[in-house]
Amino acid sequence: MRMIATIAKLLVKRVLTAIPILLLVSALLFCILRILPVDPAAMSLPPNATVQEVEAMRTEMGLNLPLYQQYGIWLNKLFHGDIGRSIHFRQDVTSLIGSTLPATIELAVIAMMVATVFGLAGGLFLFYVRGTRAEAVMDFVSILLLSLPEFLWSLFLLLIFGVFFEVLPFTGRLSPGFERPVVTGFLLLDSLITGKISTFLNALQHMILPCLALGIALSPSLMRVLRSSLLDAYQDDYIQQARLRGLSEKRILIRHGLKNAILPTLSLMGVQFGFLFGGTLLVEIIYSYPGMGNLMVDAIRNADLPIIQGAGLTYCVAVLVISIVVDSLYLILNPKLRVR
Amino acid sequence: MQQHAKGRPVPLWLKSGRVQTGLVIIFILAVCAIFAPYLAPNDPNEQNLLSILTPPVWADGGDAMFPLGTDSLGRCVLSRLIFGARVALTVAFTASIGAMIIGAFFAHVAGYFGGWVDWVIGRIVEIWLSFPPVILSLILMVGLGTGLRNVVLAIVLVDWTRFCRVLRSEVIVLRRRDYVSAAQLIGFSHWRTITREILPGTLPLLITLMSLEMGVAIIVEAILSFVGMSVGSETAAWGQMIADARQNIYEAPFNLIAPIFAIFFAVFGFNILGDGLRRTLDTRLTQTERT
Repeated sequence: MRMIATIAKLLVKRVLTAIPILLLVSALLFCILRILPVDPAAMSLPPNATVQEVEAMRTEMGLNLPLYQQYGIWLNKLFHGDIGRSIHFRQDVTSLIGSTLPATIELAVIAMMVATVFGLAGGLFLFYVRGTRAEAVMDFVSILLLSLPEFLWSLFLLLIFGVFFEVLPFTGRLSPGFERPVVTGFLLLDSLITGKISTFLNALQHMILPCLALGIALSPSLMRVLRSSLLDAYQDDYIQQARLRGLSEKRILIRHGLKNAILPTLSLMGVQFGFLFGGTLLVEIIYSYPGMGNLMVDAIRNADLPIIQGAGLTYCVAVLVISIVVDSLYLILNPKLRVR
Repeated sequence: MQQHAKGRPVPLWLKSGRVQTGLVIIFILAVCAIFAPYLAPNDPNEQNLLSILTPPVWADGGDAMFPLGTDSLGRCVLSRLIFGARVALTVAFTASIGAMIIGAFFAHVAGYFGGWVDWVIGRIVEIWLSFPPVILSLILMVGLGTGLRNVVLAIVLVDWTRFCRVLRSEVIVLRRRDYVSAAQLIGFSHWRTITREILPGTLPLLITLMSLEMGVAIIVEAILSFVGMSVGSETAAWGQMIADARQNIYEAPFNLIAPIFAIFFAVFGFNILGDGLRRTLDTRLTQTERT
């Protein structure tokens, strides 16, 4: 009961601080994009429009008002769930983001799982071989791995498994011929709900390479933090105490070492997962994966301001949500913070 | 510590194998960048439309004129790779120095004065961190427009928080030291206390962070030029080469491997240098961890 109350308190506090952050971020986004030397009014009209028509459009779009008023109008619309209409796609930005966000969330969540598995396994292995020659080698390897960002991993895996060996698909979400079931918008979930196992498996195949690329790129930093937190934890008396009690090394590692070492790793994961969400952008472009990253880059190439603002804000919300979730997890797992 | 033949001790950090590896790699890249016009076999922008997508010289159909083959416009891959080092290193050095200056300034001010100053700077950093770095730099590039100077500016504006966050906690530790209080008692001004007493203590961490930041800057530049938001198309950059090769991945996979390797090589150089510096300069690391 007490724990739920503490977590609820944290959630309320974090959500309350998130609101001013989002307001400032939206103002920042609005200002940066208003410096842009393009005229949204001229862009939404056919190229043969007259000067008068452009001027009329500017007034209609509110571009002649002072900046703070424009921001006020935009913010007011935002609260009513309207972030404008795409100039290029001629569609509501909300529906564009709504149709691409689930794909990006699926990608990010599975990639986080991959990163967690690799990070934990690698960290335990690094710790296990401490003080041996293998450690020096592994340490070097982890620096090598740190030097390959997700963007290069994507291309690298694509070359090996997609082009040289041709064992895995690397464009889009489904092979041609598969129909896309639409229930929730989350492809993996939808294909399971509708019972289309072959569609599910095909979609899963398409996700292997992008998720591996993101997961592998993220894992070395997790490995290194887990290893050094395990080393720290093993300096403490309770490990020696457990040894004197005759517990097996395995039990000590899992029940005593890992339980304490996981906390610093978890708090790093919060930051890293936020970065991972941004990293999906590049991976999506490389694998032609129809998520928010592709939408964002399309928008940037067409100077489509409403989408850039909407998508930028969505990324920001995602990072804040991830950091709040990780902080709550931290609180659940850390008894020192719980008992006050 | 071993004495050098001439009697001057070799600094500990220079004896680290990691630091040496990193410095050698950076030296090779710097030579490529500085002497690019003399090293490159061809003009990086010269299009040979009669020989597009030729394979490297050791493969069937390779042409000795283009040692690493040509891209989709018949431009020499090796020459573009060598000239690409110019953009990469320029961005690496200028952007990391810029980010370091801004980040270190705010970190020292926040950590030294504490109180509301610290609070305000902390909140600013928090706002910055609520943006994924890739997204923020892309948005900044949209606002600023393409070009080398703007790439550097965008990276500085995104990455100064990396320095600020880490250095701030270091400053807070150092501020409590006796010699800092002593300096304040003697009547040193705040500025003088920070620069004379605290900065020397944060310098090792600062140098390490800078080395790592150079690697980050190279990656960010590659990402931006990959999506066409970095330098213009007339300047060769590694990210652009990747974007071009991505279109012809089946015909010329090697065109993709070459710039990937170049980026990896450069980033690895800065990372291993940073790791070596961290091990030798960080006073809090134990002797065992250093070996």
